[in-house]
Amino acid sequence: MDSPSDAEVIGRSLDEPEAFGLVYDRHAATVLRFLGRRVGAEAAEGLLGELFRIAFERRKTFDATRANALPWLYGIGSNLLLKHRRAEARRLRASARMAAADHAADRRTSAAAFDARVLFPRVADAIDSLPDSEREALLLFVWEELPYQSVAEALELPIGTVRSRLNRARARLRELLEPNGKGRERSR
Amino acid sequence: MKPVDLAKKLRREAAFEPAVLDRGKAALMAAIRQEVQPMRRPTIIPRLPYENVGAALSFLERAFGFREVAAARGVRADGAIDYTMVEFGDGMIGLGAQGAHGAFSPKRAGTASQYITVHVDDIDAHHQRALASGAEIVSRLHDHLRDYRVYEALDLEGHRWRFLQWLREVPQSERR
Repeated sequence: MDSPSDAEVIGRSLDEPEAFGLVYDRHAATVLRFLGRRVGAEAAEGLLGELFRIAFERRKTFDATRANALPWLYGIGSNLLLKHRRAEARRLRASARMAAADHAADRRTSAAAFDARVLFPRVADAIDSLPDSEREALLLFVWEELPYQSVAEALELPIGTVRSRLNRARARLRELLEPNGKGRERSR
Repeated sequence: MKPVDLAKKLRREAAFEPAVLDRGKAALMAAIRQEVQPMRRPTIIPRLPYENVGAALSFLERAFGFREVAAARGVRADGAIDYTMVEFGDGMIGLGAQGAHGAFSPKRAGTASQYITVHVDDIDAHHQRALASGAEIVSRLHDHLRDYRVYEALDLEGHRWRFLQWLREVPQSERR
């Protein structure tokens, strides 16, 4: 027998609330890794609890035409993360330092290492300075590797809007990352 | 390198303790059970008036081991607790700001008009806890005949509490 879809499980949890535990069993590990990438392990644990409690409270509003609840959970998580922008920015900067160090070790050339030391912090700043909605769309797409449709479901946007936000985010990153700050000069 | 590929390079996994997911599950299930538990409504609920409900609540929790029924709490505009309920075993008591319903705290009235008896499982441990929390013991812990062990204490505002543990089942014929 096929196992019930998330929509069926959530539907059942309206009458049998404890059935909602299955939604956790299915998705908590994925959601926890998502939160961890964004704010680190410690903050992620607290957010995981908050996220699933909110999901439980809002289970009536889950769109039953969607079989999979994961994009919906990502969406609740994205909203929660907005309150943790500082932790996110800190983690991004730390990740940039580590990426730069890794890159330097890989190439073993001082020139590449120098570039990486400049480049990755700039990437971090660029991501950090994106408007919230563009940053969310970008990170769900790039880090979580969600297809457009799932990003759209998570952010409750039409798919066309997701495409245009991702394009804007890409364009902004490109501009902020122009070598020698060409893009920055142009924009002055 | 494309911006998106560069952004991807900053993706970094967090290192979790293995127990995180189990803890999260336990917390979620506890929250779900609490959420759907119907509010208990014993037939009789005494209600005690206090000058400072918040302080009374934390004292009763600390000294006597009562637990607040969080869903019952009402808060005033200034953030102070106006009324709430505590439970202990299968009993339940309301705490409310004095003046409402014509009832006043012994602290203001100068006298108490009732006392409340609470049955506990381990009277010695309970007594120790009350002592350590600064409850004023007004009747020392002692055995009454060979039937029960009992002590009495006042809370912060002078309500009198009588805690007792039965030592044996007393046969009907011996009861007075």
